[in-house]
Amino acid sequence: MRHYFKLQLTLINRHISDFGLRPAIGYLLAFVLFIGLSLALFIKTSFAQYLYLLMVISFLLNLGERSRNEFLKSIFKAGEYRKIRLLENAIVALPFVLFLVYKTCYLSALATAVCAAILAFLQFKAISNFTLPIPFSRWPFEFTAGFRKTFCLHLFAYFLTFMAVLVDNFNLGVFSLLVVFVVCLTYYGELEADYCIWIHAQKPKGFLWTKIKTALLYSSILSLPITGVLCGFYPQYTHIILAVQLLGYGYLSCFILGKYAAFPHPISLPQSIMFAVCFAMPPLLLLVIPFFYRQSTQKLTRILP
Amino acid sequence: MISIENLSKYYSSHQVLKGINLTLEAGMVHGIVGENGAGKTTLFKCIAGLEDFEGSITSQFSPLKNHLGFLQTDPFFFSKITGREYLQLLCNARQQPPTDLHAKNIFDLPLNQYANTYSTGMKKKLALTAILLQQNEAFILDEPFNGVDIQSNMVITEIIQKLRSLGKTVLISSHIFSTLNDTCDWIYLLKDGQFIRQAGRDGFADLEAEMRAFTVGDRVARLGLS
Repeated sequence: MRHYFKLQLTLINRHISDFGLRPAIGYLLAFVLFIGLSLALFIKTSFAQYLYLLMVISFLLNLGERSRNEFLKSIFKAGEYRKIRLLENAIVALPFVLFLVYKTCYLSALATAVCAAILAFLQFKAISNFTLPIPFSRWPFEFTAGFRKTFCLHLFAYFLTFMAVLVDNFNLGVFSLLVVFVVCLTYYGELEADYCIWIHAQKPKGFLWTKIKTALLYSSILSLPITGVLCGFYPQYTHIILAVQLLGYGYLSCFILGKYAAFPHPISLPQSIMFAVCFAMPPLLLLVIPFFYRQSTQKLTRILP
Repeated sequence: MISIENLSKYYSSHQVLKGINLTLEAGMVHGIVGENGAGKTTLFKCIAGLEDFEGSITSQFSPLKNHLGFLQTDPFFFSKITGREYLQLLCNARQQPPTDLHAKNIFDLPLNQYANTYSTGMKKKLALTAILLQQNEAFILDEPFNGVDIQSNMVITEIIQKLRSLGKTVLISSHIFSTLNDTCDWIYLLKDGQFIRQAGRDGFADLEAEMRAFTVGDRVARLGLS
């Protein structure tokens, strides 16, 4: 059992190193981020403790994934397996429980701990055989796979738009539009296998253009209903709505180019920082997009000669 | 025709392929056998252009990769992508319209199911169908019979023979000598990154006997089973 946890630690360290950080700095950064985001969450909303509980449960559900647990069961004795699962859940839940205690939310802290203990004995099947029909099948794969994983978030964004109009809150409407684009960005977070790029009978420029064109087209399908509703109900703010839409396109293009600029590795820390700076100062997109474009065409030339 | 001259591949200081020379003629099926780690997959990746290498690969197709169908040992599938969408992805990638997929689904695969939920054999059959739909001129099939049921094995053998009759260039690898025996015109034995033996159809029996002799040797006896 000790070896199992040492191995998990090694794996985490490798992930941090792959991101371009020393593990110690990675842990320090994670600690600072956790405290900072937790404080921000508790300052911003009165529902923070419930959001916290939801977050813990979503992390714990991943650990309870069926195939992972079947593997653990097959290699460890029943008693050891239970200890491992309890300990794993405790490690994940502990920072959240401590913060809830610090915030004197004792009942939520207790609920989080109890959930962690109960979920250690449950398994969940991650892969459903139900195939969700979608309008993105013509040009797989990012939107096809991504939408199926996150369609609930898009429904949530549409619900927010509805609420924005209902309570006459324009900012909430703009936020719902941003949610759609941020969710679309996540579709490009995963780097595909070399083979999936190699199969394209295109030069890097053509390949990138096809990727961006598909992303803009499909993100438009998802975002235009919100844009249309907002323009209809808030015609005086049309220029702001269109600016947000254009920004969404800009971030999407920048993220796609950033992904291939790092190829064959995942997006590195400097690229992440550049992208984050663009979020703070959108005009920088005009510099970063051509920079990433140049880098990505160079990186792709190896397998798309 | 694809001509490979003096191809070498290093991983750091470890030389995986040592000056490979090979000519793959159109309308011929070339087979490669060798132990795990002999360098078969690395050679295939070099030919496909997925790995850098020393030496040269020339062909009448420019670039070769745009006319090459590469069936990998363990094909990669995205989660939440159906079999039909996978076929569309590979056809779109080569600007081939994916028409009449129902009729062309010769392995009767459940195309509306997510491909990553397929069994090993079904994944292989889907990946093979995809590269056939791409209308390629050359094919590299890395372990095409691995994990596939006996009925599909027969279909794959027929497909390879059809590709030969259409004048396509085919390079395959297999751990099962008999499957290469049925399909290949030439078989090359790869060991420690170099071809140590090659044989035409009339030399297959001798090659198999030789392989058995040096591969099996006294290994089983060394286990000391009693």
